Amino acid sequence: MAAVTYSKASRVYAKGAVPAVDTLDLGIKDGEFMVLVGPSGSGKTTALRMLAGLEPVDAGRVEIGGADVSGTPPKDRDIAMVFQNYALYPGKTVAENMGFALKMQRVPKPERDRRVREAARLLDLDESMLDRKPKQLSGGQRQRVAMGRAIVREPKVFLMDEPLSNLDAKLRVHTRGQIAELQRRLGITTVYVTHDQVEAMTMGHRVAVLSGGRLQQCGTPRELYDNPVNQFVAGFIGSPAMNLRTAPLADGGALLPGTVIPLPPGLPSGLSEVVVGIRPEHLRLTTKDNPGIPNGSSRLLSGHVILVEELGADALLHVRLDGDSGGDSGGVPGERGGDPVVARAEGRRPPSPGEKVTLSVDPADVLAFHPGTGARIAA
Amino acid sequence: MAVLEQAPPTAPAGPRPRAMSAREKWSRRLPLLPALLYTIIVTQVPFLVMIWYSFQSYYWNEPGGSWFNGVSNYAHVFTDPDFLNAIVRTVTMTVIAVLLTVIIGTALAVLLDRKFPGRGVVRTLIITPFLVMPAAAALIWQGPMLDPNFGLLNYLLAPFGVNHEAWLSNHAYGTVIVVMVWQWMPFMMLIVLAGLQSQPGDVLEAAKVDGASAWSTFRELTVPHLRPYLELGILLGTIYLVTTFDQIRLMTQGGPGTQTTTLPYYLYEKVNYAFDIGGSAAAGVVTVVLTIIVASFALRMFARVFQFEEAR
Amino acid sequence: MTAIAPVDNSNTVPAVPTKSTSGKAVARKTGLTLGAWIVGLIVFLPIGWMVITAFKPESAAETWPPRFTFSPTLSEFTIVFSGMGPYITNSAIATIGSTILVLVLGLPAAYALSVRPVKRWRDGLFFFISTKMLPVVAAIGPLYILVLRTGLLDSIWALIILYAAMNLPLAIWMLRSFMLEVPSETLEAARLDGAGRIREITEVIMPVVSPGLVSTALICVIFAWNELFLALNLTVTKAATMPMFLISSVPQEGLYIAHLSAAATVASVPVIIVGWIAQRSLVRGLSMGAIK
Repeated sequence: MAAVTYSKASRVYAKGAVPAVDTLDLGIKDGEFMVLVGPSGSGKTTALRMLAGLEPVDAGRVEIGGADVSGTPPKDRDIAMVFQNYALYPGKTVAENMGFALKMQRVPKPERDRRVREAARLLDLDESMLDRKPKQLSGGQRQRVAMGRAIVREPKVFLMDEPLSNLDAKLRVHTRGQIAELQRRLGITTVYVTHDQVEAMTMGHRVAVLSGGRLQQCGTPRELYDNPVNQFVAGFIGSPAMNLRTAPLADGGALLPGTVIPLPPGLPSGLSEVVVGIRPEHLRLTTKDNPGIPNGSSRLLSGHVILVEELGADALLHVRLDGDSGGDSGGVPGERGGDPVVARAEGRRPPSPGEKVTLSVDPADVLAFHPGTGARIAA
Repeated sequence: MAVLEQAPPTAPAGPRPRAMSAREKWSRRLPLLPALLYTIIVTQVPFLVMIWYSFQSYYWNEPGGSWFNGVSNYAHVFTDPDFLNAIVRTVTMTVIAVLLTVIIGTALAVLLDRKFPGRGVVRTLIITPFLVMPAAAALIWQGPMLDPNFGLLNYLLAPFGVNHEAWLSNHAYGTVIVVMVWQWMPFMMLIVLAGLQSQPGDVLEAAKVDGASAWSTFRELTVPHLRPYLELGILLGTIYLVTTFDQIRLMTQGGPGTQTTTLPYYLYEKVNYAFDIGGSAAAGVVTVVLTIIVASFALRMFARVFQFEEAR
Repeated sequence: MTAIAPVDNSNTVPAVPTKSTSGKAVARKTGLTLGAWIVGLIVFLPIGWMVITAFKPESAAETWPPRFTFSPTLSEFTIVFSGMGPYITNSAIATIGSTILVLVLGLPAAYALSVRPVKRWRDGLFFFISTKMLPVVAAIGPLYILVLRTGLLDSIWALIILYAAMNLPLAIWMLRSFMLEVPSETLEAARLDGAGRIREITEVIMPVVSPGLVSTALICVIFAWNELFLALNLTVTKAATMPMFLISSVPQEGLYIAHLSAAATVASVPVIIVGWIAQRSLVRGLSMGAIK
């Protein structure tokens, strides 16, 4: 059993300062792969370091396997950590690096060698590499040694602090899969910190989104994507990002250029506007060939394309809505006005810049957020 | 959740950083203590003793020990034209020498920053004056180099109309500065060279692409980049040059007359030839007070130049 | 004006300017090389002259015009070697003793100001550097009395103690800069791996710092070996060091230039060689670790 629990855990760097981690409540199940994600300064790394014992817990508790470890020194927590810059010991060989923790635990040498070799095999590290120094390794190899150093310990919990951020894009995608697969095989509880929401979504069983030291939402990637609890999560999760814009309220709906989107009942009273959020794939391109309106209640938005980003399988259309660019005739691309919306379209024959387009959206796909607090206004 | 709430300014509740335990504090201090105590005892005690003696009349070659004589040592010091002149001379000599080391050191650094055959050897030749024992350098300058009768310098300068010039009698002040500069400009050169070589190549390439000439690249980009290096060199060079003693003791004995008597040599004479501990102590106190005034500026400069990497 | 010229040239006569520029570049390179060598030799001249004079017989050293051809002799070196025994021993003891003391005191102090810092590490650093600014010369009278009273006059211990204090601030700043090169992540990794304080130091910090330890020691050796002021004031004969030997090699009368040059050469050579070998560490040491 090695579940991890943060219970009202806080960390304050200086007296009177804003807490870096603010009364964090988070439960991580045994064997779960939990990703902490957020922008820089969100407290995700601090939260991880509190679990490692590298930062003190100023209030609240942190538990590993049901035992309060808030005051336990790092070495007695039975955890292993993979650092962003790998933190390999420069003077030691790969094998010595991987076996260092075991040496500290006075594990006999043959046993140590056996476990190092086993970890190397798990990570596809060549035997011949075991005698090299970290300086002689490539970035990807160092990363794997850092992983190996964690694995040989067979700890209760793996902690990973942006372990892929120093790899190039291709290797990162590859290693992402490797780590997820390795974790599944070993079944060890893992807490993984990243600022990259794609990494978070692809790797985590569950993802905890942090911002400003506070937990915003914790859930499966699908939950976060479909059902964000607030404007921050909605905007942070998903690539390309959700279209978010402030719209005045009229006739029980949100007023967008040329149309009114009906909103769920139970809007808080006293609001004059709301923030509406629409995912790019929910803005469907309506063309002459495809005039079919998928749903009778769909609303139409018209505008012109100002930029097309071709991604291959599909294309992203940046569309300036009519009425956004100061009511001029037709609108000149690139002119100042409201932010363009982004729509996802078929990659084969996207419209070209300057072309007029009509986008349809199903009101059921539109999310609404409180303009002051950012909280979701749900049906 | 995510409600934008301003925390009240005085919030006694809520988490606070955990204070370091007393044990932890002492375990951190312990490794520092030996060096700290050692430095305090060895460097500060003599200064405390100095303050005590500055109010005593004490000639160490005479029997009878010391007795309290109030501020009369200070009265002597402040009315002693030799002391006041020594202060002025120390300042002017140091300023001139530091400026010259900066100019020459920078020029040499720019030269050595270029690639040419034998660069390593030339660099080695140029840093050697710094490594020569100052006492040896002073005696070599004083004898084989500058002697009016057989010195090499007069021989080399003869074509320019120099005839058996007695440099250390007729141009003592300038000559001492030349020797100081000769010995310290490698130091400045090394620091500036390190600065030049740390300038990222892409910036210089960008300047080239932007159409900047070599001179304007140097003025617009290199000089600002070198600034902290120059400041560091000036700061450390001043600390070392202001206490120059060996050259003066061995080349001029402060003379002729008192033409090259700087503060260090003045104090040395007071102890060694006038046997005047009280007087030297009073002069020392004044020197230290002046130093502290200058050093407090220097320390501020240090803090800026070094841009401390945070300790952990 | 020069910015436009190449464009015109390339439109009309593309080949010629390239050729003339490369010719100019060669000339410039030759000039640079020549100039640099001349400057280097001028700077080195007094040292070269010292070494040359050291091999002269005394009669050939004080002549006008100075003589460049002579039959070299080791006779002055022989005299120097026969007389410098106690001096060079004292210098070696004072230099090595003070350097060891500096490292013993400085290493833990640098650790307490970097890796695991005391709360007021900044103040600590500034205290040490400020002692470097206080002129020892100012306190020479009282220092003389203190040394006299403690029975350390003309004792090598006085020099060891004072040279250590003189070099300690430099060493602490320098060692600290080396310790800061140990990535904090690596130290944290060691803590997670279960290394205690001692292991952390021996297994993680020392391997990174040890080259720095050598260059720190070299700087301390240079300054201690070359020191004259304190030796002159606090020693007489028993503990006199090499700079004192140099002074004693200048007699009141008679020819002495060749003898002096030989003595100066012998006294300077150890440090010159150390400095030549350690050119890189020299920069770092002299800048107190500010320049890497």
